[in-house]
Amino acid sequence: MLLETRSLTKRFPGVVALRDVSFGLAAGEIHALCGENGAGKSTLIKLLSGIHPHGSYEGELRVDGKVAEFKSIRDSEAEGIAVITQEFALVDELTVAENIFLGREPRRGLRIDWHTMHRRATELLADFGLPISPDTAVGELGVGHKQLVEIVRAMDKKSRVLVLDEPTAALTEQEVAVLLDHLRRLRAQGTACIYISHKLDEVFAVCDRITVLRDGASIATLAARETAIPQVIKLMVGREITELFPRKATEIAPTAAPVLSVRGLNVAPARGQPAFLRDISFDLRPGEVLGFGGLMGAGRTELLMHLFGAWGTRLAGDVTLRGEAYAKPQPRESIQRGLVLVSEDRRRYGLVLGQDIGFNFSLSSLKCFRRFGGRIDAPAEQVRNQHFFDSLRVKAPGQHARVGGLSGGNQQKVVIGKALMTEPTIVMLDEPTRGIDVGAKLEVYELINRLTAEGKAVILVSSELPELMGMSDRILMLHEGRVGGVFTRAEFTQERLLAAAMGKTEAAA
Amino acid sequence: MNVRVLLKSLSMPLALALIVAFFALREPAFLGARNLTQLLIEFAIVGTLALGMFMILLTGQIDLSVGSGVGLIGGISAVLIFHHGWSAPAAMGAGLAAAIVLWALMGTLIVRERIPSFIITLGGLLIFKGLFWKVIESSTVPVARGDEDNLLSVLTTYYLPDNGGLGLAAAIALVLGWLAWRARSARMAHNLPVRSAGVEVGVWLAKAAAIVGLVLVCNDFRGVPLSLLILAATAAVVFYLTKHTPFGRYLYAIGGNEEAAVLSGIAVNRVMIGAYVLMGVMVAITGFMMTAYSGASTTTVGELMELDAIAACVIGGTALKGGRGTVWGVLFGALIMTALLNGMTLMAVEPELKMVARGAVLVLAVWLDVRLSRR
Repeated sequence: MLLETRSLTKRFPGVVALRDVSFGLAAGEIHALCGENGAGKSTLIKLLSGIHPHGSYEGELRVDGKVAEFKSIRDSEAEGIAVITQEFALVDELTVAENIFLGREPRRGLRIDWHTMHRRATELLADFGLPISPDTAVGELGVGHKQLVEIVRAMDKKSRVLVLDEPTAALTEQEVAVLLDHLRRLRAQGTACIYISHKLDEVFAVCDRITVLRDGASIATLAARETAIPQVIKLMVGREITELFPRKATEIAPTAAPVLSVRGLNVAPARGQPAFLRDISFDLRPGEVLGFGGLMGAGRTELLMHLFGAWGTRLAGDVTLRGEAYAKPQPRESIQRGLVLVSEDRRRYGLVLGQDIGFNFSLSSLKCFRRFGGRIDAPAEQVRNQHFFDSLRVKAPGQHARVGGLSGGNQQKVVIGKALMTEPTIVMLDEPTRGIDVGAKLEVYELINRLTAEGKAVILVSSELPELMGMSDRILMLHEGRVGGVFTRAEFTQERLLAAAMGKTEAAA
Repeated sequence: MNVRVLLKSLSMPLALALIVAFFALREPAFLGARNLTQLLIEFAIVGTLALGMFMILLTGQIDLSVGSGVGLIGGISAVLIFHHGWSAPAAMGAGLAAAIVLWALMGTLIVRERIPSFIITLGGLLIFKGLFWKVIESSTVPVARGDEDNLLSVLTTYYLPDNGGLGLAAAIALVLGWLAWRARSARMAHNLPVRSAGVEVGVWLAKAAAIVGLVLVCNDFRGVPLSLLILAATAAVVFYLTKHTPFGRYLYAIGGNEEAAVLSGIAVNRVMIGAYVLMGVMVAITGFMMTAYSGASTTTVGELMELDAIAACVIGGTALKGGRGTVWGVLFGALIMTALLNGMTLMAVEPELKMVARGAVLVLAVWLDVRLSRR
């Protein structure tokens, strides 16, 4: 075995994150780690990469059959283990080439050899089929390209073990296909890969073996050829999920007045720039789930952020929110008027990571707890927080747990809880299931059903077509800042939606 | 792990105990009632300024101008009293108004024009110092005409009579008890877990005993100094603001993640300007006390006080990048800083070495904090 763990146990105060995990990675295999959020995948990776150093866990870690005692990431990198996580380790201000060679710049004497760096970066990017210049500043790249740059960097380090944590969460299908091809090629060259993804079809497309973790224990290791998605899901959640997208459409009276109405919206990123969102019109009715689809960069997130008041300058168009014109949106006023946004980048836009769950839950709703003298009624607040903690089934020791230490799915629940505590009429969810596990996804879907049953309207942005089709009553596809087509449930087919996303109007029947 | 947590929580009391023990051994007068009272007055001055700085640091900003501000505001009031014959309350009112205007202006520039607070307040440091010296014409301006007392001059010279101090201590203890009882019954009304009545009473008794003990020490000399009461009132207000109001939550939220704070519907600009205005108020109060303590406004009043205030906050566990810190920590930090300065003055340490010691303590405190916070 190239990499092996024997009876690994890792404890945090109050929680056992890993119990008795045994896992083996052979040279030249792609090995998937599957499990719900909080199942222990991230912890396992942190042990393998030395972030949790030797001595902080029980059990053994072996590389090439020899016990390895990593003190830090440096030690694991020296053994050829490269980890690519969901959080980018890129410097926005530097160029793509500089980032790829960061810390290992080719030198000539004391100086950096810019020519060699540029040439090798160009080769690597071309090799990877990436249509970006090595001189671009990384900050100007989209999320998808950043991810690929990071993978290019790891591959250039000639790593023997590549650990990919949710590498495709932000990639388009085309980019995913490119990535998977490269992984197959690397495998043929003998590189081993640990692949963590919630997208099981990818796992099955590329992986040789699958290890399922649940509640910190390794449940099973299966050969991908001898198993199937439903079986893996069953092992992950410990129960059978019969329906992946349990959308229960609510009865909407056809006469119901729209709660949000957008007409001819044109928005520029900033004053003096050309419009990025153009001629966007749609209606949103109470009890409805309106899906927003489109390729990366089509303007879905920007549209949501603009409606909420956090992006762009409006050049033209009217927005009517609950019957009243809403010309100059501001986050604060949007929340007061019942329009909330759950951002796709929860760590950046959603959470105060250093504070506890309760602090984050009530952050947007403190006005409800204000008493005489501007005082916060702390017991009332705590009770309300506990209600959301329980009803969203947040997995943590209690509402006083720090948000930064929670798993992705639980962080997402906290952001959603914060939005819902303001008692909104319209909930805009931007990629609400990105990077969260099957069980938590299901809970988000059920939550959407509950919201619409209460007469609230939901806008759902998702890059995953099956999810979008499964959960939406209507879908609006965006294409380069314009409406590419609007479809009702009966018209949903992957082909039509994709065609609209790519600007092929004939499909928008 | 647990040893570290214990060490971290004990590091401040331990440092204070070491400092006190060192000075007490070298100079027994350090623990005398006279010097302790003196120390408390100095503590009140540094502590008040540090409490203002605390709210600025919570949002992740900084204010380097407060030292010059202390001099300027005290100078304005002293000049109005001594040269223009204003009554002390009016002159202090004018100083306070000037402070509020100046700090509101700086806050507005910082949030609306997005100029880093480091630069704005560094400019303020120089501008206020220049204005200060202009106002007092680089001379010495007494805080009162002749020998008469006024509201400004008594700030650091008035002491509560013995019985008055004890009465106040009793009143404060009763209020604390009432507040604790009210908080407890509110929790019980919401079916939340509460501490047992015995523990609650024990905690209250300990607090009451501490307050009475402090008063008794003060009474041993001349009574509870007025400036200590000013600090106590300021600390109570800042504690209430940061711990019990949305404003305080927002300070922590902005320092923790400003982008998320904006998207959570927090009026970030208003909150930050509010923090600067409060800083202005604290600068004015400190300016009055510091000038009164010097007996006159002179060019050196307030010098380097911004660093003492920042040091007190940081020693007390306030994070410079924002989002973390407590009022108790700040008070502790201010006490450590003051004990150090007071003890060195008492031992007649040369000013050059005092500077070095001040700097060394600051660096040491941050280094320890960083070391112990690491997992």
